[in-house]
Amino acid sequence: MHIPDFMFPVTQGLVYWVIALIFILLALRWARHSMGEEKVPLVAVLAAGIFAIQALNIPIPWGTSGHMVGAALAAIVLGSPFAGVFILTLVLLVQGFIFGDGGIVAMGANIINMGVVGGFVGYYGYTGIRKLTANSFAAAFIAGWAALFISAILCAVELAIAGTFPLVPGLTFMGTYHAVIGLIEGGITAVALYLIASARPDILEHPTGVSS
Amino acid sequence: METKQFVVIGIAIALVIAVAAPFLASGNPDGLESAFFSIYDAKPFMGDELDEDAAGAAEEHAAAVTGNEFAHEALMPDYTIPGLDKTGEVLAVVIGTLLMLALVYGVARVAARPDN
Repeated sequence: MHIPDFMFPVTQGLVYWVIALIFILLALRWARHSMGEEKVPLVAVLAAGIFAIQALNIPIPWGTSGHMVGAALAAIVLGSPFAGVFILTLVLLVQGFIFGDGGIVAMGANIINMGVVGGFVGYYGYTGIRKLTANSFAAAFIAGWAALFISAILCAVELAIAGTFPLVPGLTFMGTYHAVIGLIEGGITAVALYLIASARPDILEHPTGVSS
Repeated sequence: METKQFVVIGIAIALVIAVAAPFLASGNPDGLESAFFSIYDAKPFMGDELDEDAAGAAEEHAAAVTGNEFAHEALMPDYTIPGLDKTGEVLAVVIGTLLMLALVYGVARVAARPDN
């Protein structure tokens, strides 16, 4: 879901960059106050894993592929939506500048779509659904799915404002493909959370009920 | 599990995924590209035949609509090292994974330092 530069007008790209920068500053503030030096190696490993798994495009029907984003997982594991913003911003910087995946002008929008929406929907979806279902892994699956799906919907709206997509086909096509790709996001989020909860339940901000 | 062990296992898993990714990854366009090509009639909404000419024309058309001609020359475009084929793809993702590890470690260390 990385918007390339040619799909985005420069002025609109700058507006999204300004909004993204506000969230990046808040994410840095979160890191300063809440991350804790003991978590630093874990955050780095999580980011490396998210980068690697993003490179794995899984086939979905209709000649399309999808990959994980990972902001929801980061937010759930580290207990803050800003953890998703923090990690995804750095992932998207490397993807855009080094690998040409996602534009530079459009990077602000990509940070908002994947990092901010991913982090916030992932985190609050998880904590909210967990209260209702009392099952952390079902909650992680649904939150991961929703984070990806809502990111895609917002992306379609942005591209409609940009004039690249007409609104209704944009929403229909992006929504349909990402409703399926969201299953990958939800599945990997739940499995990764289970593995982390089994190995190191203490690093999770919210216990899942699995003990090591 | 100790932190050191957790970190080592985590890095190992990330590297296994990084090495496997170029062999397992689908070459089909992703969700956004598919939506774009479908909207511009270069690919059926629920089909997999991509018309390369129409796809190129779609990109030109979109660039004309947005007026954004900015282009950035990436070092390893599309997760490849130009001229190295599959080895280059594996190396690109492995380098990216290690770069992420170092970058996030560095930024997180500086960012996580308490104010006092």
